[in-house]
Formats: sequence, C-alpha cells, structure tokens
Amino acid sequence: MTNAYQLTAIKLRYKQQLALDIPELNIPSGKSIALLGENGAGKSSLLKLLAFTIKAEQGAVTLFGQTITPPINAVQRQKIGFVEQHPYLLPGSVESNLKLALKLQGVPTEKHGQFIHYALEQTQTTHLAQKDSNSLSGGELKRVAIARAIVYQPDILLLDEPFSHLDQRHLKLLEELILTISQQENKTIIFSSHDRLQGIAIADETINLVSGKMTESPLLNLFHGQLKQQRFETGKISIHTTSSQIDTQHIAIDPHQIIISNEPLQSSMCNSFIGRITLIAEESATIRLTVDCGEPFHAIISPESLSRLSLSLGKTVYLSFKATAVSLF
Amino acid sequence: MNYFAESLSSAFKLIISFDPDIYQVAFTSVLISITAAIIAASLAIPAGVTMALNSFRGKAFIQHILNTLMAMPTVVIGLLLYGLFSRLGPLGHWGILYTPTAIIIAEAILIFPIMMNLAITAVRSADPRLVPTLVSLGAKPTAMIVHVIRTTRLAMLAALITGFGRAIGEVGAAMMLGGNIEGFTRTMTTAIALETSKGEFELGLALGILLLLIAFALNFILSWLNPNND
Repeated sequence: MTNAYQLTAIKLRYKQQLALDIPELNIPSGKSIALLGENGAGKSSLLKLLAFTIKAEQGAVTLFGQTITPPINAVQRQKIGFVEQHPYLLPGSVESNLKLALKLQGVPTEKHGQFIHYALEQTQTTHLAQKDSNSLSGGELKRVAIARAIVYQPDILLLDEPFSHLDQRHLKLLEELILTISQQENKTIIFSSHDRLQGIAIADETINLVSGKMTESPLLNLFHGQLKQQRFETGKISIHTTSSQIDTQHIAIDPHQIIISNEPLQSSMCNSFIGRITLIAEESATIRLTVDCGEPFHAIISPESLSRLSLSLGKTVYLSFKATAVSLF
Repeated sequence: MNYFAESLSSAFKLIISFDPDIYQVAFTSVLISITAAIIAASLAIPAGVTMALNSFRGKAFIQHILNTLMAMPTVVIGLLLYGLFSRLGPLGHWGILYTPTAIIIAEAILIFPIMMNLAITAVRSADPRLVPTLVSLGAKPTAMIVHVIRTTRLAMLAALITGFGRAIGEVGAAMMLGGNIEGFTRTMTTAIALETSKGEFELGLALGILLLLIAFALNFILSWLNPNND
C-alpha cells in the first residue's frame, strides 16, 4: 500500500512552544484516519502541516512519495482538499464559491458544471447552490465547505473538527459523507476530532496526539496524575499498572479492554471498580457506556451484552481491566 | 453681515444659473482629481494588499515611511515636483509644468500613501480566514491579490473615495504646478484663492459651496457603502 504522507523528524513551534514533535508518521492512502486528542494536542497544526498551509521548522514531509518543499506546486495542491474547523466561504453564492475553487485549481471551464454537480450531490447541498454563503446554517456551511474542498476531486481530504457544533441530523449526514467518500471513492480522509469514540467508530485507523506527540494509546479513559510504585494515583482513584516509569503523567485505558459485569469478577484482572452507569449511547453498531467510579470510565460493549446484562442508566456495575490494558505516557 | 448675506445670495444665483465659468472650473477640478485618484488607486491598492499579505525585511520601515508621507505638506510635494518639472529641472524636457498632467501627478503622489495605508488596513480588518482559505484552494500570488481586493472591495472603494476627496481639496501643489490658468489648470481650490484675493467673493463662495457639496456627496457615499451603518 502506498503512503499518502510520510513525516520524518517533524518539529513545529509556536512562539517557542513545541506544538508538534513527530519522529515518524506514515499515513496510508485510501483510508480514513481520525486524528484524536484533546484541545491543544496539535491536531489542527498537524492538519495544516499536511495541507501545506504552514511549514515545519524541522523535518520532511512527503506527499505520495514526493518530498515537498513549500510552497507546493499547483499539481501537488490539487491533490489536497482542506476544510478548516471554522470554514470561510467567500461572499457570493455557494456555486460561485465552488467555481472559484475550480478556477484557482486551473480546472478547464467546460468541466465546471459536471464537477460542481458531483460535489453538491455528494454533500447533499444541491438545493443550496444559489443560496448566499452568508445565509447558511452551521451544518450547511460545513457541508458546503466540504463540497468546495472535493469539487476539484482531490486524492486527500483533510477535515479539521468536522463534527463540532453540529446538531444530530447534520452530524449523521457528515458521518455518512465521510464514509461514502472514503469507501466508495477510495480517497484518503484525515479528520480531527476530540470525540475519540466517534473517531474510532468512523475511521479505519486513528492517530492519537497528546501535547503535540503521538501516542499508541487510543486516548480514551485518559487520566492525569502521578505514578507511585506501579500504581497510578489520579487523586480520586488508584490504578494498577505494569510500569514504574517515574515521569509518567498520563495514562489511558483502551475501552475495548474494560469488562462490565453485574458481580465482581473472579479473575487475574487487578483493576476492579464499582460504579454507576451515567451514559448509554449507540455508536455505529456498538454501545458506549460511561461508568462513574470516582473517575468517569468509557467502555464499549456490544448490543447483546447490553441486553444480557440488563444495563440501564443509574445501575450499579463492576468494571474490571488488566494492568496491561493501561498505557502510560 | 449684509455683505456676507448678499455674497451668499449671489453665489447661489451663480450656481443655479449654471454659470459656465464656475462649472468649467468644477469640471476641470473633478476630472483632474478623478484621474489622480484612479492612477494612485491602481498602484496603491495592489501595493498595499501585497504588503499586508507578505512578511519581509524592512516592512516596518516602509510602514513608517508611509505614515510620514501621509502627513507630508502638499506644498512640499509641489515644491519638489516644481524642481523636477521646471525648464531647468531633470524632467523639464517633458514640458508638463503648468499643465493638468503635472497636477494629476502631484495629487496622485499626495494620495498614494493614504490609499496604500487604507488598503493595508482593509486587508488587516478582513476575515482572518480569508487568506488561509485562498492558500488552501491553491491561489497563486496574483490571484490571491485579486481575490483579496474583490472580497474587500467596499473598503477599497472607500480608500478610492477618500483619496479623491483629499485630491479635490488640495490647493498648494495645484497652484504651484498648474499655475491657475483659466480654462486649463484652474481648479476649484486655486480659483477660490485667486477670486477671493481679487475681491470676487461671490465667485469664490459659489465654488466653495460646490466643493462642500462634493465633500457632502462623498461622505454620503462612504456612509452608504459602510455596511455597519444603520
């Protein structure tokens, strides 16, 4: 499989503060990738770097095997569609915004109609074509911005927090759109999200960022605290780990590794907590549970487990996981 | 008081009766100022946008020079150009001293820094997402300037009108370089100065009223263009 991007020894600073520190990252083409992390983790910076709208002070970025030295040329630019977190549409109609993108990308005029039709149809915004860009709702604006980014049919689509501030209907539409573009059209889609479960549910792969650095952990059940003799103290609870690395400040527990039961488990799992269910949500054919055990834990279970365990909001359950399920960083 | 009231009444009569002398002067003045404003805008607006969009060594120094030039007395510009265009000057062979061309050049130079500064301010006040959006859509440097100007066109038009307003009210350089030749280089401001010194107060007043009307009209257009105004 070819790589859409290869990043090597990337360092990016904003006013002396390290925003990104990525020794190596390969992003395969034709996949949907979720960039996960909390606010300020470096997701937007990484997307801007991949869109070549900013430049790293150190390191190299290759695009489909070609080392890029910004400013990128027109052919390379045409491979990338980028939608910022708060997209900006130029004054005028939706169609005029799409036309502008085609014009700037040097797409021949005779193809404009066909390309615009494709982008509007994909994003279900055909009815908005003549609408003024200033009169769009938040959800409409995001979909139109995606239409503008895909109108010249790039190989890569970069979306910064596409799901933020959207109502359920627009959120569903966007999720479907991302799945359609990545699966049917075999494009590379890289999107950032602070909702890790949503990212995990939609994407083929995830990239987890903490303070500008990549981590293997899925960043769910992320806790801050201190490690004392293989036990991580969050201030509220104590979690067994397999490490005694003194400089550890964060841990994360993979939600798939958490076992939910109605009775205490008789097993080798040395982490066992009792808590109350505070959230049950359906997430792409899986069930997401939040259990308050002094700290909120997220677990992912199957719909069968939900009915077998007769789980409901407010119910007291036992939550268990192995020390090896804890990632430290 | 009687003298002033009578003069005012006579001035209005001259305006209402479409006195050819007055309207000839007004026409020359407007033509020269519009030409100067268009020439200055066609250079200052792209220059201002380019400067606002790029970071380079010496940018702060250029900004400082621009601010200084904005406050430059018009007679100094007149004096310098007089030295250049006079028969013995380095550009004396152009033969443009005491022609409308000399006034147009002086006024264009005078309003260039004002327009460039207003263009810089317009880009800085534009939506901060505009430039990154154009970059991500693949805009090349020339297309970037064109689309930034297009998006901020109301502010750019305001810069043009402000420049025109400054040019039409200018007297020092117009007097020194135009020579106040009747029917040729006589502008409203130079005519007001001349007619008043000759004791033709009514004529001066009539031209003053016309100048004020033009200023009011410009302000009205500027307010109308400003989308923040109710």
